[in-house]
Amino acid sequence: MISDATLDLVREWLPELLVAAAQTLEMTALAYALSVVAGLFVALGEMSRRRWLARCCRVYIEFVRGTPTLTQLFLIYFGLPAFGIVLPSFGAAVVALGLHYAASMSEIYRGGIAAVDLGQAEAASAVGMTRAEALRHIVLPQALRVILPPMGNSLVSLLKDTSVASLIAAPELMMRADDLTSEYYMPMQIYLVTGVMYFIMAFPLSMAVRWLERSLIRSRLRQRRA
Amino acid sequence: MGGWHRFVDRFPEIVQLLLTGAVTTVVVTVGGFAVSVLLGLLFGTFKTSRSRALRAVAHVYVEVFRSVPVLTQLFIIYFGLASVGIRLPPVPAAVVGFGLNGGAYLTEVFRAGIEAVNRGQSEAALAIGMTRLMALRIIVMPQAVRVVLPALANFAIGLLKESSLASAVAAPELSFNAGMLVRQTYLSTQIYVCVAIVYLAMSLPLSSASRALERHVARGKRA
Repeated sequence: MISDATLDLVREWLPELLVAAAQTLEMTALAYALSVVAGLFVALGEMSRRRWLARCCRVYIEFVRGTPTLTQLFLIYFGLPAFGIVLPSFGAAVVALGLHYAASMSEIYRGGIAAVDLGQAEAASAVGMTRAEALRHIVLPQALRVILPPMGNSLVSLLKDTSVASLIAAPELMMRADDLTSEYYMPMQIYLVTGVMYFIMAFPLSMAVRWLERSLIRSRLRQRRA
Repeated sequence: MGGWHRFVDRFPEIVQLLLTGAVTTVVVTVGGFAVSVLLGLLFGTFKTSRSRALRAVAHVYVEVFRSVPVLTQLFIIYFGLASVGIRLPPVPAAVVGFGLNGGAYLTEVFRAGIEAVNRGQSEAALAIGMTRLMALRIIVMPQAVRVVLPALANFAIGLLKESSLASAVAAPELSFNAGMLVRQTYLSTQIYVCVAIVYLAMSLPLSSASRALERHVARGKRA
């Protein structure tokens, strides 16, 4: 299966696949940025004292977590045009993945904020901070250590999930692989090379997340001993 | 926002096709889950084994399958294997694909479960003359399974939703039938809303069941 001819072909595919991998990284970065920001709003909304707002955020989270990413992607790409909102496939993928991950991100934020001792927020309001100030200056910086590892894990899953965008023909790695497959009809070789490329992107990232996790635990242990 | 009339006219037909697809979704999910559990048990045991070779095998399996998108894995199994002469029908291909991918996740879950069982348990089992394999099967595993039940339930819910990707390898499940209906009727908004509702109808009861299970296990631990 791996003959010189195949290696020559791989060399032929590689430039195209590398460009597509860059698009995958771009899609990942944009969707991730969206999820980090939108997720914070959803988390704050859910913890809000306004009942209706908290309920809306809860419904949003349950809907997103109860349906496949693929369905959400199709709703945004094929469904929104009926309401006059037409997004290009790349944009639709960024929005769909970003909003999908916003739901899990909001759960991560909520968990992190809940992990910060309640006394911290009480002390902040005792020294005259508003709720927003206490959250920004006191609670969130401490929550950050708890939420960083799961946020990193989300990034790794998001990177892999961008492959789903190929099903609405958004330009990224998997889409490019599909194109090459219909051009050369060598699915085994092309998808294996694609798999290796995803591995090269995702594996170091997940190693980095595990390293971060371990070093955060170590620093917490050091603090406790000090 | 046209097409509601046509949607209402064809509603029975649409619902019937979506529900038929939902049955296949359940088949793919249950099949993929079973394969994942078997592989997870096997490689989870490898990961806790004394043999360095077995541990290395399990490690490579987990890292490779967790670092590649499941869609790519499905395409390798469905299109790739077919091109080298191993032609799997869509549903079995999806079951194998989700099983191999899920097995990598469950390997870590079972490893954690096995490690959570007190070492004294297996030591006691060895002391009364059990072989290591017997100790694992009769003493450690039953206790480990209780620890991992909530994680298994969450995995099943994730798999139910992920099975939508089987539509890309032409398995006639919910998302695939929906795509077919959309191409026939162009009622994309209405049909994908229905699809979302059917997925919710399957996943929400599952997730409340898993939360109940989690509480139950937590109570059992305190007692």
